[in-house]
Amino acid sequence: MINNLLKVHVNKLVMFIVWALSCTIVSAQNISVTGKVTGANGAVIAGASVKVKDSQAGTTTDSDGNFKIDVPARSVLVFSYVGFQEKQVQVNGSNNFTVSLTEAKNDLNEVVVIGYGSRKKRDITAAVANINVNDIGEQPSRNPSMLLQGQASGVVAYQRDGTPGAEFEVRIRGISSLGAGSAPLYVVDGFPIGTSIGTNFNPNDIESISILKDASATAIYGARGSNGVVLITTKNAKEGQLSTSLSVDYGIQNVPDSRKVKVLNGVEFAQFKKEVWMDNVRYFQNREPSIDEVPEGFRYPEQTKYSTNWFDEILHNNAPYTDINLTFSSGKGPVSSLLSIGYYNEQGAIIKTNYERYSVRSNLKAKINNIVTVGWNIAGSYKKYRGAATDGRDAIIGASLIIDPREPVYDADGKMRPYIGGKDGVFGYPNPVFELINVVRTRDAADLVTNGYAEFSILKGLKFRSSVNARINFTVNKDFKPSTIGDRLGSGSAGAPPKTASLDESRPQLINTSADQLLTYAPNMGKDHSLDFLVGFTAQQEKATNLIGTGNTLPNDLVPYLDAAVIRSSRSSGDDRGVEQWSLLAYIARANYAYKDKYLLSASFRREGSSRFGENNKYGNFPAASVGWRMTNEEFMPEISWLNDLKLRASWGVTGNNNIGNYSSLSFLNTNNYILSNSVASGVTISSFANTSLKWEKSDQLNVGIDLALLKNKIVITAEYYKKITNDMLLPISIPAVSGFTSSLSNIGKVQNKGFEFAIDYSERIGKFNLRNSFNITFNRNEILAINGPNDMLWYGAFYNGYSVQKVGRPVGMIYGYKKLGIFNTQEEIDKAPKQDGVIPGGMKFWDADGNGEVTYDTKDMVEIGNPNPKFTWGYTIAADYRGFDINVLFIGAQGFDVYRQIEESTMNMDGVFNVLDKAKDRWRSPQNPGSNPNDVHSQGGTNYFKWSRESSNRYIYRAGYIWLKNVSIGYNLPGIKYLGNVRVYVSGYNLFLFTKYPGNNPDVSQRSSVEDGNDDEAYPVPRTFAGGVKINF
Amino acid sequence: MKHTLYQEHLQGVSKLTSKQTDMKYLLTAVTIFICIIQISCSKSLLEKTDPTRVGTETFFKDETELDQGVNGVYSQLQDITRGAFVYKEMPSDNTTLQINPQNRGGAVGWETLEYATWNSGTGDMAGIWRNYYSTLYNVNNVLEKTANSDIAADIKAQTEGELKFLRAYLYFDLVRYFGDVVLVTQNVKTPDEAFDLIRSSQADVYTQIENDLKDALASLPGNQPAEKTGRATKGAALSMLGEVYLTNKRYPDAVNTLKQVLSLGYSLMPSYADVFDPAKKNNAESIFEIQYQGDNDLGEWSSFEYSFAPYLSGDAVTGYDVGTLGGQNIPTNDIIAAYEPGDLRKNVSLQTGYTKNGVYNAIPYVSKYNHPHTIKGRTNDNWPVYRYADVLLMLAEAINEDGGNGAEALGYLNLVRTRAGLVALAGLDRAAFRTAVLHERRIELAFENHRWFDLKRTKTPAELVAFMNAHGAREKANPTCDRGGVAFNAQDYVYTDNEYVFPIPASEILINSNLTQNSGY
Repeated sequence: MINNLLKVHVNKLVMFIVWALSCTIVSAQNISVTGKVTGANGAVIAGASVKVKDSQAGTTTDSDGNFKIDVPARSVLVFSYVGFQEKQVQVNGSNNFTVSLTEAKNDLNEVVVIGYGSRKKRDITAAVANINVNDIGEQPSRNPSMLLQGQASGVVAYQRDGTPGAEFEVRIRGISSLGAGSAPLYVVDGFPIGTSIGTNFNPNDIESISILKDASATAIYGARGSNGVVLITTKNAKEGQLSTSLSVDYGIQNVPDSRKVKVLNGVEFAQFKKEVWMDNVRYFQNREPSIDEVPEGFRYPEQTKYSTNWFDEILHNNAPYTDINLTFSSGKGPVSSLLSIGYYNEQGAIIKTNYERYSVRSNLKAKINNIVTVGWNIAGSYKKYRGAATDGRDAIIGASLIIDPREPVYDADGKMRPYIGGKDGVFGYPNPVFELINVVRTRDAADLVTNGYAEFSILKGLKFRSSVNARINFTVNKDFKPSTIGDRLGSGSAGAPPKTASLDESRPQLINTSADQLLTYAPNMGKDHSLDFLVGFTAQQEKATNLIGTGNTLPNDLVPYLDAAVIRSSRSSGDDRGVEQWSLLAYIARANYAYKDKYLLSASFRREGSSRFGENNKYGNFPAASVGWRMTNEEFMPEISWLNDLKLRASWGVTGNNNIGNYSSLSFLNTNNYILSNSVASGVTISSFANTSLKWEKSDQLNVGIDLALLKNKIVITAEYYKKITNDMLLPISIPAVSGFTSSLSNIGKVQNKGFEFAIDYSERIGKFNLRNSFNITFNRNEILAINGPNDMLWYGAFYNGYSVQKVGRPVGMIYGYKKLGIFNTQEEIDKAPKQDGVIPGGMKFWDADGNGEVTYDTKDMVEIGNPNPKFTWGYTIAADYRGFDINVLFIGAQGFDVYRQIEESTMNMDGVFNVLDKAKDRWRSPQNPGSNPNDVHSQGGTNYFKWSRESSNRYIYRAGYIWLKNVSIGYNLPGIKYLGNVRVYVSGYNLFLFTKYPGNNPDVSQRSSVEDGNDDEAYPVPRTFAGGVKINF
Repeated sequence: MKHTLYQEHLQGVSKLTSKQTDMKYLLTAVTIFICIIQISCSKSLLEKTDPTRVGTETFFKDETELDQGVNGVYSQLQDITRGAFVYKEMPSDNTTLQINPQNRGGAVGWETLEYATWNSGTGDMAGIWRNYYSTLYNVNNVLEKTANSDIAADIKAQTEGELKFLRAYLYFDLVRYFGDVVLVTQNVKTPDEAFDLIRSSQADVYTQIENDLKDALASLPGNQPAEKTGRATKGAALSMLGEVYLTNKRYPDAVNTLKQVLSLGYSLMPSYADVFDPAKKNNAESIFEIQYQGDNDLGEWSSFEYSFAPYLSGDAVTGYDVGTLGGQNIPTNDIIAAYEPGDLRKNVSLQTGYTKNGVYNAIPYVSKYNHPHTIKGRTNDNWPVYRYADVLLMLAEAINEDGGNGAEALGYLNLVRTRAGLVALAGLDRAAFRTAVLHERRIELAFENHRWFDLKRTKTPAELVAFMNAHGAREKANPTCDRGGVAFNAQDYVYTDNEYVFPIPASEILINSNLTQNSGY
């Protein structure tokens, strides 16, 4: 016994001696190494990990990028840092050296966030695009959605207008629904916040964005996955790093002259009025009018006193914007934290419009012990927005084009005139400058998004994560119209102020909470097999309430508060919406399997219930599966030096779209009171049919893709083909009114989107010069496969406004109208042509499409005249750096689509009630003077009539393809400065050059719903931005 | 040595602790997981409804709720009545419209009704159709719910009677607008069933109207209790049934029915103006009127005068400036000339011009519904449907057509005339009496939505076409209002006999091709 004990102890003793000796021997050979770690552009990297290969020894670089480590001679040092390629360096006697790390842009080992988890890029078998925000040059941080512009194939972010702070419209793989919207789901740090990112989010807080495009990636989000999912990950402290950074940007915005619409000046307009008047007499009275008959207002155009360019008057030239961000982060120790404070202030390109955002974010993560990790993110922001009714012909932008240019902004005393027009038959409008100054329209919102989690590493490979999320939004809207604002479009005298002052205030509130319980298990299956599972449960609910107060007949304009109003009313709900509530709960499961890194398999399933659907269809199932085959790992593949990775993959899945409103399946009572005995008696009527069978809009999507890495990963190519069919589309169908109702929401209709996406990255390094090219292109084709019946067409729009038509067999939202054949020059031409009731010479000649001998004044002769869906869209980023300098340039483009320039119905209205475009000078005046090209599709007819001059037709259709130099930023990283740290200075320009034949301000304009693309009624102009800034890392 | 042992010991402890901790955390995690699932899975999580509104399923159970359902139907009648003048007066020779050349966009519908250029695509046709059938849905729904309820039998009968009166009212309008219409006496349960519904013959529709009215008569009270003043009474049902018989030329039935109204205690108001005075709503002459209430924020106001005032009259007519006014239902030169000298009603019913800023504008307008009100745009005027004078004139007409006692008929007619300050008529033969009574109806009931149906009732399609074309020719030659430079279209005021009824809305035929169109459209 003692012997044995002794034996053990002796053995241990021997072992100890050997260990101690070996230590001594090794330590005897240690050398001290110092050095510096930098990025390829020479900027130092703080917090980079420096480890001795095959050893536990290691350190991290300090804030100047310097490190010091004692290592055995002849050992290998491994340098790594998030976002950079790992680098190994042999310590060869040298004991002071600088290591430059290359950015890991094309690194297939990069970890990408996916739904409810993350995966290495090389293992992903679904269509997922990853945007590293560091690869995007400096841009105004107006809204997170703009970061998506031009960055990934299949993803299009449209800047629909230039409203300060406005969100871009994002579409992933086309329009897949006619009734339920096409906006993707946004998920921030695991929290699904809805189909809009809103205007409270500071884009500077974003670390990376993943875009889930195909169903195998999005099916895990079930009934919200059909339109793709945008996963946003916010910044966290870098491990081992302590830093403080400050960035300050300052810029200005302008609407470039080339993007302004040119209308007549005062003299030209008077001349136009005079000619219109005289042509009218010549035509209808068949005589030459004498000059004395011409109304005084425009009898002598050259004597016109004033000439106001109203559009220029409302522009804010060199409107400034400021963007300040301060970030503290600490990744040292078990608790890492990041605090980010942001301030953004953008003055709009239109006077008196502006957007301001204050934001604070705190991301905390604590490793309590080896088992438990907890984290909490909290982001609060306050947005102040002052806007105006800018968009459309009946709003400020449209009005500024058509208001009488012969009138001055100020009267002789220098007082601003509140009301313009109303004389010589020109329509009256409030002075847009006066309106912008005096009408109050504010949208202020406080927003809090917070989420926390606790993660338990229970056993090896087994993790449980419980998280809770909440969003609280409180908005204050105020609209005050003082008595000095007249009515638009009235006849002059009736529309002129004073009017009754009015006030609308509303207080929408939203609370959204959700909780996820996720269990993941990745058993160790040996070298060849890798397997992991996820099962989980998620529940979410939202409640939106509102309080609306309306005040009318305010005695004066001094107190814009409800108390002052003589007539007041209040409601606890919006227009026809009450308290909006929805909820969902879902069970999710996913399994990933890989054999020898060669065969990759992934399958997921979500069963989801929603409060939005009918009693009979509360739950839906959303399965998906994908496979991948890494050919380069096959033994039969010859070792090819230039082919680094080749992966083929295919996926299929089912997703849903639940954006149908909250209570569509239910029937409610409407209040409809009556008067009995001269007092109010409660009454009710029924709002709609109840539809207990209402169910999900479901999409089946197939995706095949290829991932290719060539030439030492210098070239990375991804190509995908997809086909998505949306079934059971939720559409209101017209039903016979004898049922008591005119429409009923029903699951009918099918839309198909198929397309091809291609992305190529090419990086090259020549000495200290680094170059990166990134190009992506998307071809999407959509087609409506079914609506209600084979001949069904859904018409949106109106006779004078252009129609967007949904028709089986055609793409979504084709533009319909008459097809213009020219202008009738003489009565003989009219007599010979198919009948066009009431047309006179100078009138538009339209095509009798149905061949019945008459162009009827309805939609029967209207045909497809334009396609608003681009044939392809693309984005191209070229970035380069040399020593401390870098440049980043972004181009985007869209080709092969049409826009219906609706505003021309007004700006080319020849009645003389509006100012008109410059090109109106070249109009048809008489058979002898028919304008330079009367048969051109955009030619302008005569002025003697109303009918056949403004109907929906292809005279308003313009090709809108463009190439847009969206962003250029040039920066310089100063070498470290004492007490200041690293300093980066840069200049940038946004929306720089637009190459297009489109005559409007913005070819990406679209002012109607997502299925009525390409209607331009003149929106808030898109400005060009120039900025400069500095970033300091202390 | 000791060191090593100690380390080993520590490791052992730590392993042990770690295992215990694992179990502890595992249990915690599983507990949290189960708890959260339990909480979230409660079935109610997926039951979300709008708390600001009442779900249909749970309603219409007791007397109060059923009563609210009936009120809801009356409320829909308010809406129907707001625009009814466009279909019941403007197509006739009584009124026209003042064109606002600056803004004709919204006026397209009115213009088609005024100038007889309507067609099956005219939005107003679909509008009438939808409004009436939407109201009928609510009538049928409350009828069904009442039948299934366990409220007291007498209340049930009275509620059903009232609803049937309302259904008859709606169908009586529909059949006169469109001819054959779809007869729905039981609501469809799903949208699909609605595609099977087709038009019934006018005869069947009238049978339904007659049956409904007879049921209503059996249970409606002679007078509603004070708190329900404004709802239908026996007198209203009798008046309507009388008009139905008159329309169907069942003169003995008409006489018999209308005579029953005489004994219900109604009388002519001493002054014609009093009949329409909001301060004297539901007066002794009133049999059935659509109720409105202005001067408050309760949403029940009328605003007829704002539709009827000349569009540039500003505050000259209504007393408040709301910008551009309607300029609709403008009295024609024709009706203005039709008043006999000394007729006290003329000045109540219409004005031939207005003075604004000291300038007189000779644009006539309907003034019957113009009364002082305290809030801009919210008038307090009710709309008369049946009143005693109407019954007297219908009775006079029925007796005359039936070949009855000429003196008796003349007596009823002269009651109306003498109140208007006119001499009593005498010595008329049957044809002359027919003309006289129609003329008297035109004047007495001017702008109360009787004229177009009266013309249709008393004339054959061919006669109506000739009559209206003559009126159109006069209007074209000498328009009541200045047209602001807008010329007449060649199709304006060209009547054809198919226009005796309105077209079935094209949008409805497009949805359901089983619906037939009236000939000529």
